[in-house]
Amino acid sequence: MNKINHEQLLSLEHPFIPVEKFRSSLRVSQKHIEKEIATLTSTVSEISKKSVQGSMDPKQVEVALEAIVTRLSTLKRKLKDTRAEETLYSQRTKVRLQHLQEFTAIPTLDSDDFARWSRVRLNRILIDYMLRDGFRETATLLAKSEHIEDLVDIELFVQSAKVEQALMRQSCAECLQWCKENNSNLKKIKSTLEFSLREQEFIELARERRSQEAIAYAKKHLTPWKDTHLKEISHVMGLLAFPPETKCHPYKRLYDKSRWNDLISQFRSNNFALQFFTPEPLLNVTLQAGLSALKTPMCYQADHRNINCPVCDPDTLGALATDLPLSHHFNSSIVCRISGQIMNEDNLPMALPNGYVYSYNALAEIASVNNGKITCPRTGAIYDITQVKKVFIS
Amino acid sequence: MESFIKDYDKIIKKQRTLETNDPLDRLIAVVNEAKEKIRADPSSVTSSLAVLGKSIRTVSNGISEEQKEIQSSLSKYSKAIDKKFTADMMAAINPHAFDNKENILRSTIAMHFIRQGNFEIGDTFAKEAGLTVPDSMRHQFMEMFDIVAALKEDNLEPALQWATRHRSGLEKRSSTLEFKLHRQRYMQLLMGRQVQEAIAYARKNFAYFGTRHTQEIFRLMCSIIYMDHIKSSPYADLIATNTNADIQHMFTRDFCSLIGLSCDSPLYVSVTVGTQAMPTMIKMASIMKAKKTEWSQQQELPVEINLTDDTKFHSIFACPVSKEQATEENPPMMMGCGHVICKESLQKLCRGSSNLRFKCPYCPQESMASQAKNVYF
Repeated sequence: MNKINHEQLLSLEHPFIPVEKFRSSLRVSQKHIEKEIATLTSTVSEISKKSVQGSMDPKQVEVALEAIVTRLSTLKRKLKDTRAEETLYSQRTKVRLQHLQEFTAIPTLDSDDFARWSRVRLNRILIDYMLRDGFRETATLLAKSEHIEDLVDIELFVQSAKVEQALMRQSCAECLQWCKENNSNLKKIKSTLEFSLREQEFIELARERRSQEAIAYAKKHLTPWKDTHLKEISHVMGLLAFPPETKCHPYKRLYDKSRWNDLISQFRSNNFALQFFTPEPLLNVTLQAGLSALKTPMCYQADHRNINCPVCDPDTLGALATDLPLSHHFNSSIVCRISGQIMNEDNLPMALPNGYVYSYNALAEIASVNNGKITCPRTGAIYDITQVKKVFIS
Repeated sequence: MESFIKDYDKIIKKQRTLETNDPLDRLIAVVNEAKEKIRADPSSVTSSLAVLGKSIRTVSNGISEEQKEIQSSLSKYSKAIDKKFTADMMAAINPHAFDNKENILRSTIAMHFIRQGNFEIGDTFAKEAGLTVPDSMRHQFMEMFDIVAALKEDNLEPALQWATRHRSGLEKRSSTLEFKLHRQRYMQLLMGRQVQEAIAYARKNFAYFGTRHTQEIFRLMCSIIYMDHIKSSPYADLIATNTNADIQHMFTRDFCSLIGLSCDSPLYVSVTVGTQAMPTMIKMASIMKAKKTEWSQQQELPVEINLTDDTKFHSIFACPVSKEQATEENPPMMMGCGHVICKESLQKLCRGSSNLRFKCPYCPQESMASQAKNVYF
């Protein structure tokens, strides 16, 4: 029962492994180099052509080649900066894989190692929650004081916060740039974010009644989506005919500034999907599971409250759990109201003559310092230890 | 996990090879070579450029080959990861269960930090989330962590003062903390070879506990005889290495209990239980989905989540006959033999008659329903 099912618990850790960031960080310099090779090949063939035609003498060829070397050296310096991200994510991948590897060596749920691992996991989950809600200062402080910077994604949220802030300022440029960088993956999840951004830029031109620019923009940026979004395109084109203060559907809604907030949430959900982050914070997800598993009807009855039970606190977790389903049990487990210990064959349940059941160990301890007398903590009735009776729970 | 680490190492190794033999350096080298040739012999310009074209192709083929290798290892690695980490965590939750409860959750988080002793983090969080943490709770936990810090340094004085101040509350909870602290202090004196002081200390402080801890006090006094080689004596347990940690734990537990709070952070307990419960919940959700039933709207989870003993806080009685959980209307009843079943099952067994003799389903004894009585767990 106390053995850990590692496979099961590991299956929850998808968001923890930065697969996408690791892959894309390795891709950055590759892309630059590919591009450079293409330019280089064409430049060199250009030079050969000119040299054969005689429009370039050997001296000029030499100068042209020197220019190429300078270009390559500049790129080399530039790539050094992109290495920083590459190092960050390869380091991070390694640390996290090792963290999970260490987890697989923990044998039981009641070991200190598991408690330690759980505490780290709780902090990871809390930091995820804070970053999503923009509490970056606390997140950073907590990560630092617990030495788990490599186990949380502060940088990632800093980057996406920049895009979100730009959208809040009603600027699409940063988000479009992000779409470009993640183009292939966005396609994989069938994202329409880029189209929504293009629509928005068009809407803003229409709002300012810059019709000529709007038409040019539509020709350039909306037409590529004609196969899938023709209806939407025709809707936004309609804006050219309707002023921003129109009450006419669907144009009124397209002009609505709240579309910017929709863009932010669309960006968030796409961004999370790429990193395999859950749409809801992990804290909410995990708490729901935990509170349901702990919730019993007794938690909401004053005379059954247990101060150690999280759900029994009506002001905090008990209030959070009100809309969650109750736990379900096919098997009995009887907890001693005096000692909090589980009653079983090693610590038998004993009934007082009034029918109240407590564990043998707890009753024996009370009797030993009380001349064999027991006071029932719930009713105040006093009995002799010899009056208690074994209870059998099958 | 090992296979992922191996895959990862492979990728990194390839990447390092690529980096040490920098593709750009290789390109720079061939361009420079052509340039030097032309400078030395301007008439060779055509052939040199042709050679350059060819070398660029060779070099770039080599580079893209290496890049491709990294890419294919990467995609193999990421596919393996996707295959391993499959849990669809969203399936098991109700996205609206916490609607409008954001502030409850946040104050729970703030309190979690306070009660862990992370006051700075708790304050920063409260500030960022626009919450106020009750000062009283803060002061209580500051006092607690000050005393724990002293205990860690073997300074029992603050804890003893606290325990004496709260003697009646502790006794009501049948806590033995105060005596354990005195015992620890006595052993400290004894181990420090201050026998006279130890005896004086015992005289002054043990008397109060005379009735409750007679046996212990006998042993403590007797251990004086063995103080020089206590480790090989029958009293070795009195100086066990973990007594300090035990006392810290006992103190924290009693302190929290006295101010009406749980010993462990409720947030920690809930999240830890949640982590263990999630795989089962996810599996159940996928089964329910296949059957097209929404589980989150049900009053009760359709599966049993096993809890570890330390997270069982309430007695659960499931009737062994009907398998139903006991309720107020259907309470647990103990039959004459001591076996417990639910009232409804009992009524079925006795066919509604209170003085019909029937056999217990779990032992050979016979009894009547009138002999059965309510039990309270």
